[in-house]
Amino acid sequence: AAKLAAGNNSSNRIINSSSNMSSSASLDKNPFTAGTTTVGATGTRKVFIPRDFTNGLELRFSTAFPVQLQGRIPEETFVAVVTNINEILTAAERGSPAVYMESIFACLTGYLLYLCIDTHYEKSLKQVSRLVAEYNRTTFEPNRLMLVDPSDRGLRVLEIVVLND
Amino acid sequence: MPEPPWREYRGRSRIACGGRCVMARNMAIFYLTLGLIIICSALFFAFDCRFLAASLSPAVPAAAAVQFVFVLCCLFRTTCSDPGIVPRGTPEEAAWIEEEIEPPKAEPHGAYRPQPRLKDVVIGGRVFKLKYCYTCKLWRPPRASHCSSCDNCVDRFDHHCPWVGNCVGRRNYRYFFMFLASLSVYCVYIMVFSIANIAILAKAKDNLFDALKESPASILVALVAFFSIWSVMGLAGFHVLLMCREVSTNEDIKGVFNKKRNPDCINPFDRGDGCANCCYVLFGPTQPSLLNVRPWRDDENNSDGEPYADGVGAGVISNTDGGEFDDQEDNGARELSSAEGLLSNGAGAGGGRRRGEPQYGSTETASVAQAEELPIGQVRITKSERSDSRPVNWESPEL
Repeated sequence: AAKLAAGNNSSNRIINSSSNMSSSASLDKNPFTAGTTTVGATGTRKVFIPRDFTNGLELRFSTAFPVQLQGRIPEETFVAVVTNINEILTAAERGSPAVYMESIFACLTGYLLYLCIDTHYEKSLKQVSRLVAEYNRTTFEPNRLMLVDPSDRGLRVLEIVVLND
Repeated sequence: MPEPPWREYRGRSRIACGGRCVMARNMAIFYLTLGLIIICSALFFAFDCRFLAASLSPAVPAAAAVQFVFVLCCLFRTTCSDPGIVPRGTPEEAAWIEEEIEPPKAEPHGAYRPQPRLKDVVIGGRVFKLKYCYTCKLWRPPRASHCSSCDNCVDRFDHHCPWVGNCVGRRNYRYFFMFLASLSVYCVYIMVFSIANIAILAKAKDNLFDALKESPASILVALVAFFSIWSVMGLAGFHVLLMCREVSTNEDIKGVFNKKRNPDCINPFDRGDGCANCCYVLFGPTQPSLLNVRPWRDDENNSDGEPYADGVGAGVISNTDGGEFDDQEDNGARELSSAEGLLSNGAGAGGGRRRGEPQYGSTETASVAQAEELPIGQVRITKSERSDSRPVNWESPEL
């Protein structure tokens, strides 16, 4: 596979040298596969939605519609999904009076309180998990896509797996 | 079920207790810290408290005991907490990013090109340069830094503290500060009461030497406490100043927000008020460890939130656990409800779920193209088949 990749390395793309793709030329021409996807072990492709730092350190993902999803789901649906996830994550990082009270109380108990209850942030991430599972069930899987819970990717990216038909 | 990120951790920190404890590799100085605290406290309780309970009040050793437990809680929280390690990127993510930042082919006339592994991001009117970390295979968030001792990127990296045996970062900074603050108070308390004990005994026996013979450890404890106070209190005071300015030690050393060095620089994370900054740093929301973020993965089906009724967004967003969303701005709620509407349309329309029906041609092309490209019996990508042009400081899971 390495020899194949080296032989077909028409551009200096690292992605080709690490993949088992037969030809990089077809990657370039096909707008659905060129650019940012990677071939996984079972012939799946992955689309990554990066973090959006334009609003500071607020935890949010970019709502720019990736070209690889054209034809799979409408852009409005994608934007709605990412916006909903962003809302929960942004609220998780916001300091509200309830959060401050929880932290002060935890401090007074020598932080032993955290052994008993979930923090506000943990509850928000659980919410995101449930939301992602629901989106997968209703929106993504019917379109042969799968959204990976950002918690499984260290809150770095939103990963959408394009399942091979 | 995907593996939790801590199982694939490749840095140099130690991970224990099923991903719940993260410590540095070299813990020698931490044992020294722990030993000093425990031994001095033991001597204090053994010698001074015996006398003080009788001569002054039993509240004295009781208060000392409470402080001792609090100091140890804070110390162990600091030492064993994940400081905010950003888990390393997956191979696919790394390929995706490295493809984007592929260095340009060398210009024949050697024209200058900016380093491709930097990305500019504007936060609050100030430009931050995000760096791509080749070790961790990710774009380092602003305020994150790579710790060479632990070989991982830590969010809001403060410093690597050998006394505590861990990095101090976003998640354990508050425990670190509480440890310093409580240890300062405890040191003062011990010093004052061990000297008081010597004074009371000396007065009772009219002879300082006899008092010291009676309670020999007191002078030792007082001396250790006295010398500790200077460093611990000094450090605690320094961190109070840093917190009020919303600057980490790492940023302070590098002068990232230093107005003297760069008069135009602003700190977009500064809330303007020292108290507000301190409150947010010490009592703000705390992110769970990203290495072990879903310890609930087994009871995902027995969620404690309300089950979904109908519509994707509606069930979750309106029935929240803590009720915080009720305080959200109205426009947020309106946005969400319109999104719900779109989603339920999306889910409802097209029973066959081929949303791209009118564009079926293009999807067909895509899938046909994929079929051409992908040989049957796809070989699993292993580390040995990667031929990156960049050095990879990554150990294969098989090793």
